[in-house]
Amino acid sequence: MELLVSESLVEQERPDQPSFALGTAEFAELYQEHSRAVYYMALRFLGDPQKAEDVTHDVFLKVYRKLNEFRGESSLRTWLYRITINHCHNLRKSWHNRNLITNAADSVWENAASKADSPLRALETKELGERIQKALEGLSEEYRLLLLLVADEEMSYDEIATVTEQSTDAVRGKLHRARKAFAVLFQQSA
Amino acid sequence: MKHQSKFSPQEQQHASEQQTQQPAGREFASVEEMLRYDAAQTPVPPAIAQRLEKSIGEAPQPKPAWWKRLFGGKNP
Repeated sequence: MELLVSESLVEQERPDQPSFALGTAEFAELYQEHSRAVYYMALRFLGDPQKAEDVTHDVFLKVYRKLNEFRGESSLRTWLYRITINHCHNLRKSWHNRNLITNAADSVWENAASKADSPLRALETKELGERIQKALEGLSEEYRLLLLLVADEEMSYDEIATVTEQSTDAVRGKLHRARKAFAVLFQQSA
Repeated sequence: MKHQSKFSPQEQQHASEQQTQQPAGREFASVEEMLRYDAAQTPVPPAIAQRLEKSIGEAPQPKPAWWKRLFGGKNP
């Protein structure tokens, strides 16, 4: 998958309209409501807390400047994810490590189907984040992204399909494989 | 856009039981449940809000729209 989301919807410049559409209180409310989702997506997608901080900062700064371009055709969360994913995607491209482990995911779960059907157990909550990160890093970018999106209760399958520019059926099919691959990788990370 | 439930009744019941029981070890019925728990345990560093506030304060005010410059803020 070359491009995860449409750049045109995010980057569209409309210089004939004033920016800074939100006052401070409204923007603070928006940040309060969505910052965890943006930060968590960036953290688990990139696997680097410092870069996740940078992405979250840059995403909300961009939102602050361009909120007047939000046309309400999708949910605000969907729009924020588009910007976040594009930002993360560009960062990863600059690291020259995109798709480093891509295509490994399918073979992993196909060879260990029994492990994938077991419940996911974690004895120590403090280790959970590390194991999740390790398992996610074993997945392709697309699977990782789909799992992170579907875990957000505010995101429907239709919205995930919109963000990732594919059909809802394709999302369901890929998620089925992504869940199994993650489960196997998570068991292996113990 | 209408939201559809992505979670089975068993998953929802499992999640609510976990919220009340809080065992030492955790078992998750699905990947989504695990990631949601992880997200809930992952605080947003306060430094981001501070940086953001500073960046917004330092950002140059954008030029007003052409019609604002021409008509002083009234719609043409």
